[in-house]
Amino acid sequence: MNRLGHAEKIWLLLLALTLAGAWLAETGHAGWPLTFVVAGLIAFKGRLVIDHYMAITAAHPRIRRILHGFVTLVPLLVIFSHGWGDVLRRLTTLH
Amino acid sequence: MTTAAELVGESVPGNRGIWVGIFCVLVEFLLLFCVYFIAKAHHPAAFERGPDQLATVAGVTITLLLLTSGYCMVKAVAAIRRDARRATLRWVLAALLLGLGYPCVKFFEIRWNVAHGIDGAAGIFYTVYYYLTLNHLVHVSWGLLGLAWVATRTALGVYSSRDYSGLEAAAMYWHSTDVLWLIIFPFFYVLR
Repeated sequence: MNRLGHAEKIWLLLLALTLAGAWLAETGHAGWPLTFVVAGLIAFKGRLVIDHYMAITAAHPRIRRILHGFVTLVPLLVIFSHGWGDVLRRLTTLH
Repeated sequence: MTTAAELVGESVPGNRGIWVGIFCVLVEFLLLFCVYFIAKAHHPAAFERGPDQLATVAGVTITLLLLTSGYCMVKAVAAIRRDARRATLRWVLAALLLGLGYPCVKFFEIRWNVAHGIDGAAGIFYTVYYYLTLNHLVHVSWGLLGLAWVATRTALGVYSSRDYSGLEAAAMYWHSTDVLWLIIFPFFYVLR
């Protein structure tokens, strides 16, 4: 029996993380633990796709930095919007 | 074939044009995500209740379809690098068929939503949900057209291990739609 290749391992890991996300969707409650786990899942799964599906580690550094920056910024915004929602609300109120 | 540029880590996977497109899409969705965060900050209760009404199984199925379709494109690019053209075509067609599952699931999900009174006017959470997810569906549709085009060209024997930039460009765009969905899915089905 053939051993799993690298692409298969990454694919199975992504599927497992997705099912973990589905379990969270059914059982999770609003709060810091859920926020941190979701932010972590976005960052980790995003990096898996970028680094292993897109094989971006061999690409031009600018492409790599922009993609890595994107999947780092969004989880930080998730954490910011949860912890500092009142600041965000104040900043985006038009009166 | 590994080029000198790849060895020093300066290659552009696919072609420059596709990266202009991908970065435009990323900026567009970053702005849409800001809409999500601002709406959530103004209506926290609606965003806490919202995910309970949605069909999680639809969101999970779409995620599994996209990730598996992306895996097929990884295998397609690997196959063309070996000049395995028949295998490349099989992997691209598998990616296309799995990708077509996305609009099918979305159709049934929206039908289920509407039957349960969840339309675009059901509240701010659902307005943002439809706005973001349907926008993503539009971008996935471009990706599916790209995969169909690449499948046709693969069948015609256009690509080889020496020139597969078109195939790789389609794969890069397809993976970028994966990345966006991996963010959108927890926003509406998991996060509260």
